[in-house]
Amino acid sequence: MKKNAVILVVDDDPDITDSLKIILESRDYIVRTASNGKEALQALEDQKPDIMILDIMMATDTEGFDLAYDLKQRPEFKNLPIIMLTGFLEKVREEGPGDFAYILGEQWPAHWLFEKPLDTNRLLDKIDEILKERT
Amino acid sequence: MKAPRNFLSEEGRQVCRNTIREEMERIQWLINIRWWAPILIAAIAAMGVATGFDGSVAKLFIVAAYVLGYNAFFYRWRLRLGAEPAATIPRLQHCTTWQAALDCSAIVLLAYLNGGTISPMSFLIVLPIILVATVLSSRPAYGFAAFVLAGITLVDIFELVGWLPHQSPVFRQKAIFSPPNLQQVLFNLMVLYLLAAIAAFLTTTLSKAKRDNTEALEDLFESATQLNQKFWRLFSMIQAIGSAQNLDQVLRIVTSESAAVMEVQGISVKLLSDDGNYLRYAAAHGLPDAFVREKVADVQKSPLNKRIIEGEPFVTGNVKAKEIFQFGEILAEAHIKSVLFLPLHLEGKVIGILGAYCLLADRFSEEDLDFFRLVAELVAIALENARAYEAVEKLVKERSWYMLRVAHNLRAPLAGMLSILDVVRGEYLGNLNAEQQEYLRRLDRRSRTMLMMVNELMTLAKSREAQQTDKTKSVEPELVARRIRRTFQERAAEKNISFNVTVPEDLPAFRGDLEMVEQIIENLVSNAIKYTLPDGRVEVKFTRTANMIRMEISDTGIGISKADKPKLFSEFFRAENARAIEKNGTGLGLAIVKEFVDKLDGRILVESEEGMGTIFVVDLPVATNQKGGQHDSAGNP
Repeated sequence: MKKNAVILVVDDDPDITDSLKIILESRDYIVRTASNGKEALQALEDQKPDIMILDIMMATDTEGFDLAYDLKQRPEFKNLPIIMLTGFLEKVREEGPGDFAYILGEQWPAHWLFEKPLDTNRLLDKIDEILKERT
Repeated sequence: MKAPRNFLSEEGRQVCRNTIREEMERIQWLINIRWWAPILIAAIAAMGVATGFDGSVAKLFIVAAYVLGYNAFFYRWRLRLGAEPAATIPRLQHCTTWQAALDCSAIVLLAYLNGGTISPMSFLIVLPIILVATVLSSRPAYGFAAFVLAGITLVDIFELVGWLPHQSPVFRQKAIFSPPNLQQVLFNLMVLYLLAAIAAFLTTTLSKAKRDNTEALEDLFESATQLNQKFWRLFSMIQAIGSAQNLDQVLRIVTSESAAVMEVQGISVKLLSDDGNYLRYAAAHGLPDAFVREKVADVQKSPLNKRIIEGEPFVTGNVKAKEIFQFGEILAEAHIKSVLFLPLHLEGKVIGILGAYCLLADRFSEEDLDFFRLVAELVAIALENARAYEAVEKLVKERSWYMLRVAHNLRAPLAGMLSILDVVRGEYLGNLNAEQQEYLRRLDRRSRTMLMMVNELMTLAKSREAQQTDKTKSVEPELVARRIRRTFQERAAEKNISFNVTVPEDLPAFRGDLEMVEQIIENLVSNAIKYTLPDGRVEVKFTRTANMIRMEISDTGIGISKADKPKLFSEFFRAENARAIEKNGTGLGLAIVKEFVDKLDGRILVESEEGMGTIFVVDLPVATNQKGGQHDSAGNP
């Protein structure tokens, strides 16, 4: 397993970013945080992370989506693994493109979706799995 | 279009049926006796031959064939009428009239071929006259008598002038080919006229009383039919209004339907503002665009509107007085001659004005006014219902939206809180002693209960907000059963509860949404397992009823007391014995179940005895497009 992988956590809720930072750092990941799309972009420019954990609804209901779609257009971030978080799965389900099945499909910029409150163990397992695939 | 429903009383319908049957029998009788006419003619011919007539009798058979031919035609006509469910008296009389006309022509022809007026056979012409007088009214009876006499007279004149060859009567030993002289003809014609007049007079007088009855009945039948149609339209209007959802729809239906019911060109509905000062055109049907555009009239400035609102209907059969009409010119341009305005009353309050517009002058009678009043009442009720419905709908929507928002907003801080708890409980910030761990565990548990409650509230709110469910979707019972097994097997095993799900083969699909069906059964099974003590039994059984699919969820659990049963499906209700087992329930599970079952047009029943167990029976409709859908996909190239 690749150690010292860089993970960028983007959420406007500092309780979430702080908690995740502590938990992830305890696993020896390098954690960067951002509280909105703009900060996230800045952080991405500074240092390209191995994984991005991204909340969907921040200042606007789709800020996370917008950022993710943006990144898909950019060659350097096209393959960045994104784990999306949402507190409102029902809303995503209703307003997402087509059926819920699409969430993990081609049209979605993210490949994983986690519902908040987070199941920390599942999240850690998923991160391990992604990093394993990458190496 | 459906056949008009009949609003006539049973007696009325019986009278109509009897009259129609009598008329039908009369037609049959005429046809039956007419079959004898060719035989009669053949007999005449035979008599002619027997008495040594030296001319040809073949000509008589032309008439026989003619009568035979048209009688066969009427026979078929009669059969067709008999097969018609909606045969009416005028249509039957139409048939009778044609028969009389052809009979008269046949008799004139027979008379001509048999020597004209001088023939003793000419007296047969009274036969159709008598027939017609008995079956039709006196006017056509005299008409046909005149027709026959005119025919005979013309034959005589033509013979005298030499335009028609004289035909010898068949009873003479020697055929006479020279026409009779004028004197003879005149004498015979006079006798014939007299005879025919007497016959017509006597028979019409005799049958007058009966005919009068028939005519009165016909009128009654006619107006009853019209009334029936009106009622049918009113009825379909009520139906249409009943199925309408919002005010606009109701207004559209009300205006177009009442135009049809009242048989007028246009209908308008003006509604009074809440303060009663303004009238707004809410809807119009069959009127120029100028009406449809939103126009507001100041009641104080319009004496006509003011009078109507005060309760006085307004009728005019001659729209010319421009000064009293706002739209006088528009009305004139649209060729509208008669107008009628009625106040729309509701519970003693005027809520607007109903207007009717007609192209005919002086269209509206006193009787119409009564009928319009009825329509106006109906319209007022429909409008008020639509308003109430909209208000309720808005309120429900607002409530659901509010609930959803609250639930969303509650969930965000909860998620943050649980994240922090994760960090602390995970000892990322330092080690905890056992007591600290225990208290944090309890905090975590309470927070998760709260989260569950918020989630269920959201489900409920969403379900209330959602419009009609998609009726074309279907759900395979087998799939639901598989998922239920997977979800609950472990939990049941932990409590040592035997858990069985049975689905018969080839059970049709449910109609509706997989998520909803699943949520229903998940909530019920989850409860069953929760409230069944270890070593108990929980069973889910799928079966087929007439047009539903039945799911029975039975357990050997704590049961439901009689007192709690009625409250079972209310939000936040939790039974006493349930609380004892599970402290942290939300009381929303069964409310959601009920909500979803209703949404899917199903029904739910519960049988329970405290301490013995509970059976929930859920019936959900079978998918309607099941077979059709498969055909479609197979049939598509």
